[in-house]
Amino acid sequence: MSAPARTPHPAAPRPPAGPAAAAGRRAWLARANPAAKLLAAALVAAGLVPVVDPVTSGIVLAAALPLAACSGLRGAQLAAVGLPLLVMAAAIGLVNLLFGQEGWAGALGAAVRLLAIAVPSVLAAVTSDPTETADALVQRLRVPERPAVAVLAALRLIPLLTAQWRTLGAARRARGLEAGANPLRALGVFLGKAFALLVRAVRTGTTLAMAMDTRAFGTGPRGHARRSRWRAADTWLVAGTAALLCAAHLVSLAAGTWQPLGIGG
Amino acid sequence: MQEHEPQTHPSPRAPLRYRTVDIVVPAVLGVAVGVVFWLWNMLWTVTTPVFAFFPPAQALIYGMWLLPGVLGGLIVRKPGIAVLTSTAAAAVSMVLGGPWGVEIVLAGFVQGLLSELVFAAARYRRWGTPTAVLAAAAGGLAPAIWDNVRYYVTWPLSHQIAFGVIVVISAALIGGVGARLLTSALARAGALAPFPSARR
Repeated sequence: MSAPARTPHPAAPRPPAGPAAAAGRRAWLARANPAAKLLAAALVAAGLVPVVDPVTSGIVLAAALPLAACSGLRGAQLAAVGLPLLVMAAAIGLVNLLFGQEGWAGALGAAVRLLAIAVPSVLAAVTSDPTETADALVQRLRVPERPAVAVLAALRLIPLLTAQWRTLGAARRARGLEAGANPLRALGVFLGKAFALLVRAVRTGTTLAMAMDTRAFGTGPRGHARRSRWRAADTWLVAGTAALLCAAHLVSLAAGTWQPLGIGG
Repeated sequence: MQEHEPQTHPSPRAPLRYRTVDIVVPAVLGVAVGVVFWLWNMLWTVTTPVFAFFPPAQALIYGMWLLPGVLGGLIVRKPGIAVLTSTAAAAVSMVLGGPWGVEIVLAGFVQGLLSELVFAAARYRRWGTPTAVLAAAAGGLAPAIWDNVRYYVTWPLSHQIAFGVIVVISAALIGGVGARLLTSALARAGALAPFPSARR
């Protein structure tokens, strides 16, 4: 449905949501309401930030990882999603090991907690189509409609804006404005291009707004071309997440590993 | 929409109305900044894995992420626009993929909301450098606290405070002063004609 606008530019990794969302028979997690996935991911973050031990987070992570199988992602897509997560977890584990006060255990706890919060968050993102997300936010979470539609429309301009970025670079090269190996000049060229892109963006936005005005955008009550449905499975997803968090905390408490977030490590 | 008088000088009591352009331009602007972020992220990821070893360096450039909300607010000068622009910029990072997922959109929303509070405290009437700096610094409070409890949990308090302070200062400078200068430059480039910020 939204295939053309999702076409990635060559420099971008292919948005993994595309195939998962567009497949005829969609994976379970891709069919879930984006609002439910957003709530579940936020719930995990709220539930795990107050604890720093690896056990509580580890239980949640162990339960979240199999969900990747329900995401419809395969092979290379899964690697493209998972690899940055592992790199980030390793980096965070490392800075906690190097600068932290709690050595290996603290570093492990930080890395596991990072993954336990990030995995549901990333799964929610890659399995949600932007259009369905906007529909769900407006119809289920009562987000104001005009700004939601405007952001959705603007996100559709990502390929256009990245193409303009390349055009700006080509134009500068044609004029002999190249940085070469000088990082300061590279920064100057980068900022110049960024400013030119912002000018283009404001003008594009002005034109887009005019086009939307001619179609009477936002002048009266709107109907919904697509209904965002909340199914029983969505309730189960949110309730299950809450139950999982409670169970993780209880198990960790029972095992004596539970450790709350303390100020200064 | 019937807007005979462009709202260049909104009287304080005028009912709050959002023209389409008031909503769409900040959304597109936010996405454009988000695209630049994304290239910026790639640049840093490719050139400096050093950040993992020396996080204060990352705190120094953190202010860049606080820029869109303040920029949107300064340009459109209406309530809610800082939240909108900041959220739109963060949404790009989610849509293009990365290790953050929906969490980053929530972060962008909260950062925009904190900047919005400063604009609200200024009653949406003051748009100078002090307001911009305060708005960006307020937005910077979110990562100053959140990143410490989310990522740098085992650090000693002194490190955490140092990180937070550097983030807020960076936000004030890059996000606040930067957004103010950018708004003036965009106005000089003639891009802001539909908005009150076209004239100082």
